[in-house]
Amino acid sequence: MSLQTNSQYSLQSRLVLAFSILLILFLGLAGFVLDRVFKESVAAAVEERLQLQIYALLGVAEPDRDGFFIPDLEELRFSQINSGLYGFILNTRGEEVWRSPSAINLDLDEASFMRRRLDPGQSEFGTMESSDQGRLSFASYGTYWSSLDAGFSFVVMESSEPTTAEIREFQSSLYLWFGGLAILLSIAQLLLLRWGMNPLKQLAGELSSIEAGEKDRLELEYPRELQGVSNNLNLLVKSERERQSRYRTTLGDLAHSLKTPLAVIGGIVHQARLHLDESDKERPTRIDELEEQMARMNQIVSYQLKRASSSGTTSYLGVPVRVAPLFEKVTDALEKVYREKGVRLLRSLESNSVFRGEESDLMELAGNLLDNAFKYCKSEIRIRVSTKGDRLQLEIEDDGKGIPKEDRGWVMQRGARGDTLNSGQGIGLAVSVDIVNSYGGDIRVDTGELGGACIRVTL
Amino acid sequence: MRLLIVEDEDLLRAQLVKALEDTDYVVDSSSDGETGLYQSREYDYDAAIIDLGLPKLNGIDLIKAIRADGMNFPILILTARDNWTDKVEGLDSGADDYVVKPFQIEEIKARLNALLRRAAGFSKPTLDFAGLSLDTSAKRLRVDGEEVELTAYEYKVLEYLMMNPDKVISKTELTEHLYDQDYDRDSNVLEVFIRRLRQKLDPNETLKPIDTIRGQGYRFNVPANQ
Repeated sequence: MSLQTNSQYSLQSRLVLAFSILLILFLGLAGFVLDRVFKESVAAAVEERLQLQIYALLGVAEPDRDGFFIPDLEELRFSQINSGLYGFILNTRGEEVWRSPSAINLDLDEASFMRRRLDPGQSEFGTMESSDQGRLSFASYGTYWSSLDAGFSFVVMESSEPTTAEIREFQSSLYLWFGGLAILLSIAQLLLLRWGMNPLKQLAGELSSIEAGEKDRLELEYPRELQGVSNNLNLLVKSERERQSRYRTTLGDLAHSLKTPLAVIGGIVHQARLHLDESDKERPTRIDELEEQMARMNQIVSYQLKRASSSGTTSYLGVPVRVAPLFEKVTDALEKVYREKGVRLLRSLESNSVFRGEESDLMELAGNLLDNAFKYCKSEIRIRVSTKGDRLQLEIEDDGKGIPKEDRGWVMQRGARGDTLNSGQGIGLAVSVDIVNSYGGDIRVDTGELGGACIRVTL
Repeated sequence: MRLLIVEDEDLLRAQLVKALEDTDYVVDSSSDGETGLYQSREYDYDAAIIDLGLPKLNGIDLIKAIRADGMNFPILILTARDNWTDKVEGLDSGADDYVVKPFQIEEIKARLNALLRRAAGFSKPTLDFAGLSLDTSAKRLRVDGEEVELTAYEYKVLEYLMMNPDKVISKTELTEHLYDQDYDRDSNVLEVFIRRLRQKLDPNETLKPIDTIRGQGYRFNVPANQ
């Protein structure tokens, strides 16, 4: 089980992506709507303004023989050539009866409103393209002149240039504001996400600490939504550890309750042997058979219990075991037991090497291999513990006779059966092989530099 | 030599007591850790055999308590749990050796003998002094290479004195380590043993191996062969 996550799919990226899409959609739509509304209100303002100009013209227009005479134009732009504001009066046939002095150069023969006949009181508003003045807004209004008994259309046109410029200005400031807003919101979103995701980050951090063995439970207070998860994780870690230790205790009790009677029977057999007649001592007896069977039973029980107690699971929730102190503890203990041998011990233990598994498995491995080394060495043992990449390497070498080449093969067989082994080096090695195999590791027997057995374990 | 055995299995305890008494040890026993601790505080032992799975006070805690009391007699642990975690924990808490159940009684005797010798500072099973050598596994004495017959009690007295060379051993201490507590502690008997030992070790009265320190006790004074 790995707790590392692929950042491509991290929660944070998902939220950032979702929020960004939302932000773009919202700002885009809002911009579009604002733009529309502004344009419409500008157009409405233009229409109103042109309408007012038409009313102004109506107010001062005086009909004469040829058409209309407008003596006093209040609006100066009507009198200035190409000023951008133009006035016309058309009769019902679409013929021009008056145009303002400003429109003298204007060529409007093709303009559609010229041909349209408006009933009195009817008005029209629109835009048109002219070849020399660019875009123009126009408003027209139909009237009936009773003194002439004729209908006329009053038309006022205005260049769209100023309003287009106004709209452009509005748009650019709109973009500026929305751009700034987008940046601001993005930053705020990142900060908010970071704050919101912080408990998850802390949880991941605490889990890494548990993996690294710095903590044995989640200790921080988490928000309500995560409290359940963290409580359950703590329970899981605890129950996993308890289960292991309970299992081991049960096996220990089983060993105790099987072996103590065996010891008692052994004592009885021993007593019985003492009471044998002299003549019986020479030939094989039932007592020999009994002893043989007891030895077999004892070996099977020992071997199977040892195998059963090995967990063989690499655990990231378990506490990683520091190898060097454990090896020191085992060698200290063995030096006590083998004190009389005066073994010279060379230890080269990398202090940062850890074993990701059950401490008791490593203890069993170290105990069995080192006990063999102490038992079979002449006077010297070399121990090396190191880490290469993420592999733990153990090397135990002695200056004893070593293991004959022909025996190495079957001793190393996975699951060599306890009852087919001879006592001594075999059982310890067989259990070690089982433990190493259960962790998917590798164990080899060689002849070392000291001339004796050299056991190399990679985990 | 006085031993303490703490083992909760009655039959096994009885077997051990019997076998070790037959080997001329003085043996006290108890069936739980608390009684064991009490006994270790009351009497002066030369060694203890302690089972790890004990009621009331487990073996490891008993060993720790004994060591915390400052007592440093050798301790042999018996364990049914043949795993290194228990063995290393036991040795780490102050035991000196372990025997895994089931065991041959001979193995216990041999380990115990080695522990007692080692505690007395001897590295070989034979205690060698100038002209005298006591084989602790065969329980035989040689004086100038000649084997000398000893009675069981003479052997016990001599072994105890030789294991504590150059130390003054009071009559009380000797009695305590050699006899069961309900045994008649007549110091005259001890004096008889000492006199007989002196005759056997030193028939020509040249070596004078055992001093009598008036009012205090005896001292074995022969220099050891190293």
